[in-house]
Amino acid sequence: MTVNTTAYVRSPSRTSAYLDWLQMLTGVALILFMWSHMILVASVNLGAGVMNALAAFLEATYMAQVGGPMVGCIFLLHFILAARKVPFRAEQQSTIWKLSRQLRHTDTYLWLIQATTAMIILIMGSIHMWTVLTDLPITAAKSAGRIQGGFWLVFYLILLPMVELHVGIGFYRIAVKWGFARRKDRKKFKRFENYLTAIFIAIGLITLIRFLLLKV
Amino acid sequence: MARRLKFNIFRYNPQDPDSSPHTDTFHLEETESMTLFIALNQIREEQDPSLQFDFCCRAGICGACAMMINGRPGLACHTLTKELPEEITLMPLPIFKLIGDLSVDTGTWFRSMYEKVESWVHTDKEFDPKAEEERMDNALAEEIYELERCIECGCCVAACGTANMRQDFVGAVAMNRIARFIMDPRDERTEREYFEIIGTDEGIFGCMGLLGCEDVCPKHLPLQDQLGILRRKMGWSAVKQLFKFGK
Repeated sequence: MTVNTTAYVRSPSRTSAYLDWLQMLTGVALILFMWSHMILVASVNLGAGVMNALAAFLEATYMAQVGGPMVGCIFLLHFILAARKVPFRAEQQSTIWKLSRQLRHTDTYLWLIQATTAMIILIMGSIHMWTVLTDLPITAAKSAGRIQGGFWLVFYLILLPMVELHVGIGFYRIAVKWGFARRKDRKKFKRFENYLTAIFIAIGLITLIRFLLLKV
Repeated sequence: MARRLKFNIFRYNPQDPDSSPHTDTFHLEETESMTLFIALNQIREEQDPSLQFDFCCRAGICGACAMMINGRPGLACHTLTKELPEEITLMPLPIFKLIGDLSVDTGTWFRSMYEKVESWVHTDKEFDPKAEEERMDNALAEEIYELERCIECGCCVAACGTANMRQDFVGAVAMNRIARFIMDPRDERTEREYFEIIGTDEGIFGCMGLLGCEDVCPKHLPLQDQLGILRRKMGWSAVKQLFKFGK
């Protein structure tokens, strides 16, 4: 500890606590959103009509027009809150990479994955949201057309695992940090989280293939 | 046949202007039940008397011999060489002030941290040396003792990503300490007073949950559980203060 605590007294503040709450709550909201998002998009596997009907419902109720930008705001807020912990300084970067390599410690590595995927999701997620929300209504044909163009296929092949990894690790991290997963449950919970991530990536890939093969 | 062990040991004496940080290599024949404590003493006795490292109890009680063993913090006296590969790299713990070679000063850090979290029973009761000691429920006493088992070796701090990046972070050892006083009925501090000490980004809200502490603690203290409990407790305390209920 290098700080001389006798030198000054800081006025007590609750800001750290509120920011931590918000970071967790926005995280939970986004996790729940991403799971429902994946299930809704995967409805195309049941038939283009099912996806179109669901999309039409979301637009008729204005959930897409209002909910979409709202998710975008939560997304940005979550980035700003979590960025408080991301090592943006070069010195911190080299410290954390060196430490992770030395320790060979999975959870420390997982955090690096979390922070790295966050940066990619920030950019690619924004592009995705802008593209979809400025081109409403959402239809299976439009989505399929984009995927079959090639560029967006590669785009989503990158974004999909990034998001699922980030969501999965975030889910585990929240459970551990806030004491929902205790020492005795940690292993089981981690395995559960790994399966969940794998299942969602699989659903995503199947959905992408479905879009690729869908007759437009 | 006994293995021939290769030791890469960090060498640097900050007191000596001619010394510069480097690694020295030593070789030793492995003997039965050899610990790093035995190996280091043998190297010092037979090969290099200037090698600096800390030891006291050689039984995992004093916490003096913590060092980075092949990149992971651990107690040298608790580490059998047979659990390690033939090549063993020893470095001093990071974060703490280097005294020389493998020896670090954990004392100054711990003293400062204890002052910061006010690691003592706060009470207004006058101490009466003649009175019989107050009784404590045995189950509670054991719960407190579980956290008191900390030997202040510094491994949890050395393995902490947050503490390595941010020197003002107090580390799991401090949270464990506070958790111990929260449990103790003799400590009269209110939840809000605990919050003022630990409810910050230098305290519990700075913890990113990487759990390096939990995974390296040589005494297997329940750090993950204590961090989780403390985060919730301090989180609720902030909410209660916002809506002005509770004390």
